[in-house]
Amino acid sequence: MITVVAGLEVALTMSVAAADLCAIDALDRNICLPEPAERVVSLSPGATELLFSAGAGAKLVAASAWSDYPSQASELPRVGDSNRLDLEAILSLAPDLVVAWVDGNPRSQLDKLSALGLPVYWLAPRDFSDIARAVENLGQLTGTPERAAGRVEQFRNGLASLARQYRGARPVRVFFQIWDQPLMTINRDELISKTIELCGGRNVFGHLPRLVPRVSIEAVLEANPEVIVTAGEAGGGSRQWLDDWKQFPQLTAVQAGNLFLEPPDLLARATLRTLEGAQHLCQTLERARNAL
Amino acid sequence: MRSEGMGRPLVLLALLCLAAVLASVSVGSSTVSVGSLVSVLTGNGSELERTLILELRLPRTLSALATGGLLAVAGALMQVLLRNPLADPYVLGLSGGAAAGALLAMLAGLASVLVSGAAFAGAMVATLLVFGLAHGRGSWTASRLLLTGVVMAAGWGALITLLLALTPTHKLPGMLYWLMGDIAYAGSPWPALAVLVLALLLVQPLGRSLNVLARGSLQAAALGVNVRPLEWAIYLLASLITATAVTTAGSIGFVGLIVPHMLRFVVGNDQRLLLPASALAGGTLLVLADALARTVIAPEQLPVGVITALIGVPVFLYLLNRRGA
Repeated sequence: MITVVAGLEVALTMSVAAADLCAIDALDRNICLPEPAERVVSLSPGATELLFSAGAGAKLVAASAWSDYPSQASELPRVGDSNRLDLEAILSLAPDLVVAWVDGNPRSQLDKLSALGLPVYWLAPRDFSDIARAVENLGQLTGTPERAAGRVEQFRNGLASLARQYRGARPVRVFFQIWDQPLMTINRDELISKTIELCGGRNVFGHLPRLVPRVSIEAVLEANPEVIVTAGEAGGGSRQWLDDWKQFPQLTAVQAGNLFLEPPDLLARATLRTLEGAQHLCQTLERARNAL
Repeated sequence: MRSEGMGRPLVLLALLCLAAVLASVSVGSSTVSVGSLVSVLTGNGSELERTLILELRLPRTLSALATGGLLAVAGALMQVLLRNPLADPYVLGLSGGAAAGALLAMLAGLASVLVSGAAFAGAMVATLLVFGLAHGRGSWTASRLLLTGVVMAAGWGALITLLLALTPTHKLPGMLYWLMGDIAYAGSPWPALAVLVLALLLVQPLGRSLNVLARGSLQAAALGVNVRPLEWAIYLLASLITATAVTTAGSIGFVGLIVPHMLRFVVGNDQRLLLPASALAGGTLLVLADALARTVIAPEQLPVGVITALIGVPVFLYLLNRRGA
């Protein structure tokens, strides 16, 4: 037994030594490639975006449905929807790296790809540092580490400057509406809630146990938020969600006119664009703060 | 004698129903004491309490009452019509048609009023399809109606799965909650309550004929009941009732199947008593289930269909065993 483990360790060390292109993914697995990936398949819109940020856009040979940013991504061949993938299409493209998404892709299906020897790198970005690390790692695996490092530095600097700017700001109580029927919000573990915190806001439902809890209108009235924000439905048209709150004039947010529609695409995916989303949200919350 | 025997259970059920309504408007994310409930109902109370009770809980509770009543009455009618204990308001595919209509409207991104309209239209399409196909040429029997409806229901089920599969992920939660049934977003409760009262008034004079029909169409015909028009009238009425319920609150299962059976154990199978009793008991069950759904893990919310089954299954099994003993 001990010799087997020792043998494995030697093998592992040797393979690591043989290849410099290694990165640890969200499942804590060390993914090593003999040389930079040239044919990459992305299995979620977020992964596609992160790959473009890492400088690997030109190496993408296919992506999952709804990969629409940056605009070149829309033209990539499709390998199915994130949760229903076409394994045959993926295999026939002969990729040398597959980038998967823990919260959206079916694990059992992709384990088949791993078993066939395809390197699968799993993403699960939960906070800003996960996003930054994902871009760095994807840059590493696709042979553009400098490009990725540059983008990540911009991202980190932008976030740090927001954090400095709003550290002392007066906290405002925020209700972030994800959906209207059923009425859904987010708890403190969600990236949007972390963005609210960064901007000096307090998520009124941050304490709830589930990531995307369904709450009642009653609960919102009781929490009495000072600001109600939604990013609405992709494609917009959710001003109505905010206007619906006006039937409850006792809400501080309604009295102060603090009902805001944020750009739908910037906060929806955990990618480098969350910096832009955070900058926008911080300005929104600052306006709300001044209106109180 | 007769009217006295029928009156007592109805009065009891009505009292239960009233108690359930009062309990339902008192509980929620914040519980309102009896004192402040009285002061709100008499026009006083704090602004927050007034909004909570009068604008949120009362309309929702009345919608639950109406929906539960409609489903139970429709279930009782379907069980008589098909002479099948497994019949419920949805057995002939009506909820499938409604769901397909509602999901298509949601997929197109229509406003919620139009979603309700599409659900009602879908329910009517499903009803007329089954009516037309089972009517067709040749002899007509309850079992032909049942088989046609069940097969159509399977077809609708496949269509719904297809729609869900083709829907972008971000639109799925709304659709799934609609499919589970949810009273939270019911509009005004008055149309549904009006349909319930009208339906009860309509079936009341038919009670005797329904009692005979429940024993079989041959016996009914032998006793001078004009069977076929009666059966079609029941079918269309039950469909309209169900369509109203589905339009109000999505497809909430279980109430329409179980409530009429439970009442048969208690009050017997006289349709003149069973139908109004079903309305009251179905309403009570759904009001209580909705109150629990709002409070069990408040401020988070559960789908009401989960609770109807959790309450209904043990009560039903208890009654079944008591009768068997």
